[in-house]
Amino acid sequence: MDSVVAWLHVLGWAFYAGGPITMEWVLRYAQRTMPPSQVAVVCQKAGHRYRWFSLAALGLTGITGIVLWLRLDNADLAGRPRHPRMSLADPYGRTLLELAIVWVMLVALVSLMAFWLHPAQARRSRPDMPREEIQVERARVGRALKRMEIVLRSELVLSIVALGLGASLHAGGLF
Amino acid sequence: MWGNPDVFTTVLQVVYGIIHDLGIATYIGGAIAMEYVVGPAQNSIPPAQSQIMGQKTADRFLWLVWGSLGLIIVTGILRLDKLGHISLTSWPILGSDMSLGHDYGRTIWAMFALWCVLVANGLIMTFYLRPRLAGKLKAGTTTAGVQASMQVKMEAAKWVGRLTKADILIAVVIALFGASLRFNGLL
Repeated sequence: MDSVVAWLHVLGWAFYAGGPITMEWVLRYAQRTMPPSQVAVVCQKAGHRYRWFSLAALGLTGITGIVLWLRLDNADLAGRPRHPRMSLADPYGRTLLELAIVWVMLVALVSLMAFWLHPAQARRSRPDMPREEIQVERARVGRALKRMEIVLRSELVLSIVALGLGASLHAGGLF
Repeated sequence: MWGNPDVFTTVLQVVYGIIHDLGIATYIGGAIAMEYVVGPAQNSIPPAQSQIMGQKTADRFLWLVWGSLGLIIVTGILRLDKLGHISLTSWPILGSDMSLGHDYGRTIWAMFALWCVLVANGLIMTFYLRPRLAGKLKAGTTTAGVQASMQVKMEAAKWVGRLTKADILIAVVIALFGASLRFNGLL
C-alpha cells in the first residue's frame, strides 16, 4: 500500500516537474523556427492539454502527499538517516511545511494559467471589429502571452524547488 | 543540518537525491509530455510543417533523454554508495543486501535491467530510427524511390511511437520499484 502511494506521488511529481522542462527546452525551441500563425495554433493545443495534465498531476501529488504524511509517525522516522521528527523544530518538519507552501503556490500558478491567462491568450479579433478595437485586442493578447511566459518560467523554477525539497526529505530535510 | 558532524555526507546525499529525482522527472515527465501534449499539438498544423516540428522536437528531446539516463545511473550508484549498500572504494563492492537473496537487491537489479532496456531503446531510436526519419531525397529520385523512402519513414515513425510508449511503461515500472525501496523493495 505504502509503495503504491509513494509510486503515485513520484509519478505525479515526475510529470509535473518533467513537463515544464520539456515544454521550455523542447517545444519553445521548436516554436522559434515556426511561422507565428502556427505557433499560436500549437500553443493553444499544447496549452489546453498541458493545463489539465498539470492540474491532475498536482492534484495527485497533493492527495498522495497527504496520505503519505498521515501514515508517517515518529517511530518510522526514527529509523531514517539523521532520525528526523515531525516538528517545526526539526529540519524535516520545516521542509515538509515549505513543500506544502510551494505546492499551494504551484496550484495558484496553474489555476492562473488555466482559467485566466490561457483563455485571454486564445481570444482573437474579428474582421468586423473597428481598427482601434482590433489593436486593443492584439495588445491584450500580447500582454497575456508575456504574462504566460513569466508564469511558465516561475512554474518551472518552483517545480524544481519542490523536487529539491522533496528529495532532501530522504536525508532528513534541508533547512 | 550544518552543525552535524556528517554534514558533508548529508549534503552529498541531498545533492545526489535532487539530481536523481530531477533525472527521473525529466525522463518520465518529458516522455509523457512529448507523447500526449507535444505530439497531438504537432498534428494540428499542416503535414510539412508538422514533420519539421517533429524533427526539431525529437532531436532536442533525445538530448534530454540521454542526459537524464546518464544522471539517473550515476547518481543512483553514488546514492547506493552513500547509503552503504555498495562501496566504491573498497572490496567487495556489493553489500550483503545487494544480493539476489534480498528483496532490496532483487529490486535494485530489476531496476538496473530495465534501465539497460531504456538505454537499448534509446540507442535504436538515436542511431537507427532517427536517421531513417530524417533522410532527405536526392534530386532526380524516381517515383518508386520516393514511395520506397516514404514507406521507410512511415515504418520508422511507427516504431518510434511503439518504442516511446514502451519506454514510458518501463520508466513507470522503474519508478514503482524505486518508490518501493524505502520499504525495502518490492520483488
